[in-house]
Amino acid sequence: MSIEIVNARLLDPATGTDAPGGVFIDKGVIKEFRTGTGVSFKDAKETIDAGGLCLAPGLIDLRAKTGEPGEEHKETLATASRAALSGGITSLVVMPDTRPVIDDVALVQFIAERGRETAFARVYPAGGLTVGLAGEAMSEIGLMAEAGAVLFTNGDWPVASAQVMKRVMTYAASRGAIVMSRPDERTLAGGGVMNAGEFAARHGLAGIPIEAEWLGAARDVVLAEQTGCTLILDQVTSQRTLDIVDVARGRGAKVFATVAAHSLFFNELDVGDYLTYCKVNPPFRAEQARKTLIAALKEGAIDAVVSAHDPQPPEEKRLPFGEASFGAAGLETVLPCLLTLVAEGELSLLEALAPVTIGPASILGLPQGRIAKGAPADLILFDAGKPWLCDRDQLLSRSKNSPFDGRRLQGRVMRTFVGGKTVFER
Amino acid sequence: MAAATSDYTFRHEHLLGIEGLHPLDIQHILDLSDTYADATRAGQRPGPILKGRTVVNLFFENSTRTLSSFEIAARRLGADVISMPVGNSSVKKGETLIDTAMTLNAMKPDALVIRHSASGGAKLLSRKVDCAVINAGDGTHEHPTQALLDLLTIRRTKGRIEGLKVVICGDIAHSRVARSTTMALHLMGARVHLCGPRTLIPPGTDTWGAESAGTDFDRALPGADVVMMLRLQLERMNGSLLPSQREYFRYFGLTADRLAVAKEDAIVMHPGPMNRGVEIESSIADGERSVITQQVEMGVAVREAVLHLLAGARA
Repeated sequence: MSIEIVNARLLDPATGTDAPGGVFIDKGVIKEFRTGTGVSFKDAKETIDAGGLCLAPGLIDLRAKTGEPGEEHKETLATASRAALSGGITSLVVMPDTRPVIDDVALVQFIAERGRETAFARVYPAGGLTVGLAGEAMSEIGLMAEAGAVLFTNGDWPVASAQVMKRVMTYAASRGAIVMSRPDERTLAGGGVMNAGEFAARHGLAGIPIEAEWLGAARDVVLAEQTGCTLILDQVTSQRTLDIVDVARGRGAKVFATVAAHSLFFNELDVGDYLTYCKVNPPFRAEQARKTLIAALKEGAIDAVVSAHDPQPPEEKRLPFGEASFGAAGLETVLPCLLTLVAEGELSLLEALAPVTIGPASILGLPQGRIAKGAPADLILFDAGKPWLCDRDQLLSRSKNSPFDGRRLQGRVMRTFVGGKTVFER
Repeated sequence: MAAATSDYTFRHEHLLGIEGLHPLDIQHILDLSDTYADATRAGQRPGPILKGRTVVNLFFENSTRTLSSFEIAARRLGADVISMPVGNSSVKKGETLIDTAMTLNAMKPDALVIRHSASGGAKLLSRKVDCAVINAGDGTHEHPTQALLDLLTIRRTKGRIEGLKVVICGDIAHSRVARSTTMALHLMGARVHLCGPRTLIPPGTDTWGAESAGTDFDRALPGADVVMMLRLQLERMNGSLLPSQREYFRYFGLTADRLAVAKEDAIVMHPGPMNRGVEIESSIADGERSVITQQVEMGVAVREAVLHLLAGARA
């Protein structure tokens, strides 16, 4: 079945394309695309008139948690996929911190199979970096990679021991595996529940100092350089961490940095009167840090923006701030968050889209995330300026713990394609 | 300000903290507390203002003095009082704060007095219940009735609050008393200087209204009208925040020598319970400048006033 999507605004950060045009899809891949007004393709069995909407590659999310297996009441691969597609995410890497932990071949295969069977989005398993994520014994990195694990991570709680981290990265490098780690010196950050500073002190909340991120990042990039391992620094929240990455890259280390979309939108003051939906780790930082992250995004210093989707049911959030779980639902708000920054004049559309398309595609070596001949036809049609009010009850995610609840956003996905098939339509 | 109080009404539904109160609110509570304190001293019983009302004390943290103080205050006003030492009840069986609150709320109390180890605990509770919530200490956040009783004690001893120099010394970082009292004193025009080991001084104390926050107690003391010592949690020694009790006392303990540089008529305060010989010398704690037992006395008066305003006004 061949389809043409015409009368669109083609946006492809990979080639810097931002022009009117259309795309011709056959057998699930992009056969042809052309820019210009009035573009059409012969042989198309079906024509979709985009009506001037933006047509871009579907988003690739390097970090989403679900509750499958073990905590399906939080989220399943199927519900996460539905939420993702409605937010324009067509490929998602799911984290290994489930029950049980995804730390062996059978579980990696389980995730991959459940993804194929129950989800319309492309689901990529991330493997546990250490057995049980306990930070002690190395997991079967090579075998899990063969089974389809695209990267390896210890999830929310990074490996504490520098020795274990060095050994694991040394081994991962030899297998060509990618390691993703959240820069966090736990002995410094431990016990904290929000960004350390005046606001935390005034509210009597234990702080997570930014130095903990710098120290964690410094350790991990040094090890990446020494071992030759490809490293993704997961959810950076400050310019100084990006500086650390920059120095390491200059010395030849293969290091990438990601930022959680919500860190581009909220600052520590949004915690307000102990709002647990704003309790995330890494925490929302000072406004100045948020601004520098946006500037870094504009400069291309951030390789990927992630959803950091972490579904938490009410019983984990209806607690005093200090006792509530960390985590925010994020799959449905990554693109609207970025598009709101575009509407506010902070970013161009291409700058906003690069770190959620070609950026993560390049890190993982995936063929999608671009509008190119032969690339999978994972595409989204979105209205870049459409204003809407985020209401958590309207979210498709099984857990509704979104800090965006009640916020006005601009930009909305109208239709999502995976492999040329329409998998979501608003 | 006195003229303005004539048509003033206390409009707050809860007392969650000093933050959010207006100086007139504080003045009003202090004035009412004064009448209760005077009445008690004169051996009079206040009228049964809270007759038929139910006050529930919900203490998730162990406390003897604050709990008894609230109990006595509520009983003096004729309320039915139920004190729930939650530390060893259903909450330990996994029931959450909100569940406990909603259960109690269904029994229609008129006021809930809550102490909880989590900052924001009282605020969370207030969102879920229909009755008045009085914060009796939430984590390291606020302890408003303590601040009010401190102010009442100061006002009764000094005749005023405005313009006084108050030095608060100790573990500022973990003290809800320091936060609430600093804010309240600042609102009422006192000049507050905080003092303690650098590891126990949090950032942003100027936003609470403190004029300074330093590590040199001796430099802070000259000219002080009020010296308030905070309780040092002895477990701080284990977290490498402090070297030893001995060293702490050397730099931050209140001794007669130190106190000599404060004003001649300076008073000494402590929210209790005291660690004698750690933050305060016994001779000072029991000396003539100490108003520590008076603080306890004023605690009951302040809580009578607060319960009167919050539990009494409800239909």
